[in-house]
Amino acid sequence: MELFAVALCFLPCVAAAISMGFATAKAVDAVARQPEASGKILSVMTMGMALTEATAIYGFVTALLILFTKI
Amino acid sequence: MLDFILLAIFVVAAVVCFLWRRGCAARFAADPSAKNKRLRLLSTAALALGIYLALTRIVQLILGPHEAEDLAAFSPWAERHEIFGFSVSVTVLWLWVLIAALVVLAVILRIFVLRRMSDPPRGAQNVIEAAVGEMMKYVGSSVHGEGEMLGSYMFSVVVLLIGCAVLELFGIRTPASDVTFTLGLSSITFVLINIYGIRKKGVGGRIKSLAQPTPIVFPIKIVTDFAVPVSLAARLFGNMLGGMIIMDLLYSALGNNAVGITSVVGLYFNVFHPLLQAFIFVTLSLSFIKEAVE
Repeated sequence: MELFAVALCFLPCVAAAISMGFATAKAVDAVARQPEASGKILSVMTMGMALTEATAIYGFVTALLILFTKI
Repeated sequence: MLDFILLAIFVVAAVVCFLWRRGCAARFAADPSAKNKRLRLLSTAALALGIYLALTRIVQLILGPHEAEDLAAFSPWAERHEIFGFSVSVTVLWLWVLIAALVVLAVILRIFVLRRMSDPPRGAQNVIEAAVGEMMKYVGSSVHGEGEMLGSYMFSVVVLLIGCAVLELFGIRTPASDVTFTLGLSSITFVLINIYGIRKKGVGGRIKSLAQPTPIVFPIKIVTDFAVPVSLAARLFGNMLGGMIIMDLLYSALGNNAVGITSVVGLYFNVFHPLLQAFIFVTLSLSFIKEAVE
């Protein structure tokens, strides 16, 4: 049961991967349209990526807490 | 006995590959055709493989057979030691060592470099000026008009996180994989957000800015504000711990064959990843402070 819960905790990784793919695709699109704005786009994308990635990290931390915390 | 035989076989193979590679290189120098180029590449790969196998056998001879680690090595909580009656975790101890080293480095730079600043910058002065200038420029462009004080704090955070990454290269559990360290850093960010917000707008203005656009969102905004340090801490902690666990898993899976391969993978997980996370931590802190100031 515990291991099943841990496995469920990695569902956010799937969502984060998909959404990061979308974000990168849009960024590539924007750079192709406006190559001179690539620096600004990169910094905005990095911040968005960090916020997106956080969801996957929350899942990971939760999984570790379930695995290693004895209640 | 088997180890010695294998070692001899691999050393002989490496020497043969070396001779073969030399012959191939000479032939390629005389006649640079596509076939000779492919042969040279093949012989180089064979030489690298032979050297790798011989090295793993030497490691096996020195260290003995590898024993599998148990799961407790990947725990989010570091092991603890009793020092003067206090229970202190290893990561905190190494963080103290790191801070001491950084302070000594700063004092040395203050005495030997900053005293002898010259107008055409030379040597270490160049590096310091470039680093400090870039950091101040970045902070100044992120939060307008708050360059000096905030810039120096963010610079020290970046230096501390880079120091943690350097500690990890020596095989020490990085302090950033301890949730107390990251929570401490992000609480400082939380305090800074409120200090800058209150200094800019006053206490009433800060509370009023939380009630934008309608007063109904006030409780939600309070919760959002308290979620900022938790999210920053969990992000840094989870990323560092994830990198550490992946490297530990790789080391324990490869055992005595962990020669060379781990340094290539570690280039990402131990060098690039912590630097990226330090950058992201600073960027997010600055953007939250900017949000409070505006």
